[in-house]
Amino acid sequence: MSTFVWLIRREFWENRGFWLVPSLIAALLLLGALFGRIDLAGIVPPSQTREVGGLVLFAFGVIFFLVMSLYSTWYLVDCLYADRKDRSVLFWKSLPISDTATVLSKLATALIVLPLVYFLAADITTLLIAFVISVRARAAIGGALWQADVWLQLQVMWIYLIVTVGIWYLPLAAWLMLISAWAKRAVTLWAILPPVAAYWAEHALFGTNFVGRQFMERLFGFMPHAFHPHAGPLRLQGATVGTASATDRFLGSGSVWTLLDPIGFFTSPATWAGLAIGALLIVATIGIRSRNSEI
Amino acid sequence: MPAIIEAEGLTKKFGAHVALDHVNFRIESGRIVGLIGPNGAGKTTAMRAILGLSTYEGSLRVIGREPFRERARLMQDASFIADVAVLPQWLRVDQAVDLVDGVHPRFRRERALAFLSKSRIPLKNRMRELSKGMKTQVHLALTMAIDAKLLVLDEPTLGLDLLARRSFYASLVDDYMDETRTILVTTHQVEEVENLLSDVIFIDRGRIVLDSSVERLGDTFAAVAVNANQLEAARGERPFYEHRTLGKTVLYYERADLARLASFGEIQTPSVSDLFVAKLSRGAA
Repeated sequence: MSTFVWLIRREFWENRGFWLVPSLIAALLLLGALFGRIDLAGIVPPSQTREVGGLVLFAFGVIFFLVMSLYSTWYLVDCLYADRKDRSVLFWKSLPISDTATVLSKLATALIVLPLVYFLAADITTLLIAFVISVRARAAIGGALWQADVWLQLQVMWIYLIVTVGIWYLPLAAWLMLISAWAKRAVTLWAILPPVAAYWAEHALFGTNFVGRQFMERLFGFMPHAFHPHAGPLRLQGATVGTASATDRFLGSGSVWTLLDPIGFFTSPATWAGLAIGALLIVATIGIRSRNSEI
Repeated sequence: MPAIIEAEGLTKKFGAHVALDHVNFRIESGRIVGLIGPNGAGKTTAMRAILGLSTYEGSLRVIGREPFRERARLMQDASFIADVAVLPQWLRVDQAVDLVDGVHPRFRRERALAFLSKSRIPLKNRMRELSKGMKTQVHLALTMAIDAKLLVLDEPTLGLDLLARRSFYASLVDDYMDETRTILVTTHQVEEVENLLSDVIFIDRGRIVLDSSVERLGDTFAAVAVNANQLEAARGERPFYEHRTLGKTVLYYERADLARLASFGEIQTPSVSDLFVAKLSRGAA
């Protein structure tokens, strides 16, 4: 096994939450499916069970994805700080592992490995729940959860999200790692303070808001960049998430392909500017890490 | 002999504080070198530079490599235990063995496991569940199982009881050391290591004050226990340190005329720890 695989394995040993958190969500959802009220026949007209079924599957995915985003953020803030704080950093540095490999393994863990774990957990959970509900509700709604095309679309959606989220949020992830490598204490505070201070200083000195807009764009601009505007349930503004018409567009009439905008995403200057800034911050993080020892 | 470590003008500053001040030394293969100095002398700073853990000024080659730039590759041939390094609390003993085995090309798994079973450490325990001494034993087991050309030990036996310390140093000499290896060790317990050292480097305030093989110490240094009636005459030979014992005063000389010293009493070669006290006691003599 290569060093990089060992480094990823090490992250699983250190952070048992990698498995525990998705397992916990899965267990809660399964409990809901086993004992919750699933008699939707009275609420949803039979003509729409198919749409609602698709939406339920989609909602499970969303839950997993949101928790994963929060967990990854926490992980990035902590990942290079933890072993300086517990003074094991010198043990790691006594091994023939470069600081570049260390930093990249943690970045890959947050942006690739964790999303894949949650993807897997979401798929297994949805399969189990679809099975449980099918057995409990029989024809009423059960059939609505077994839609091969919806399943396929969800898989495509996950893969697309993992790739685009990883690229779009790289500069933020790299920033968190930089702070995690550098700060001697109060990592979270240091992660938030400089951007806020820059925003405030710019506002006070020049009366402009360039920095603030860049940050807002990066934080909330993902959806409009990676998806077609006005095209369905994921539109942020106007709160169309989950309305019947949006579901229609996503799962009914259209398909996931009408929603995704890979060409727009990969031709946007913001995507590439983010990648470039992210790469610079990663190089800086490796530089700091190589000068690090215990706190 | 090829040099394992070669430092020329090695300097490290922290702001205005000069921790290492144009230090030159050369450590050859097959030696056991004690880097000895009081707290804050620059020992740890020197160790960190040698191990590629910090930047430095001047020239430094360790096993033919530039430590800071090539730390990862250097660590295939060098291993170390720093006094402050601890194993991660969440790591299980067997995981630690698997991990080092996985990433280190020169790790001897059987040797680590033999060492661990000898000290009766449960393999399934996490580090946080082990006593301080056991953690040190695990760290030593992992480090000693690496076929390194250079082993750097910074206060390696911290937290071990006397028996464990003795047996560690015994196995260091009997099982580990051979002519292909070089060991650089710092410790405050100079008495414990002085019998196994082949060379000593004394460091004080960022400068080297003594760099000698232990055999040659006798050519350079002499200690004479002098009676009170000859004290003034003995002081005339310019001792650099004196130390009062029961009824006599022990005077320490560097490059003195041994024939003339012999008239004051029996000439002895001072031990490394006596010499340490003599050389580094400030304002004495």
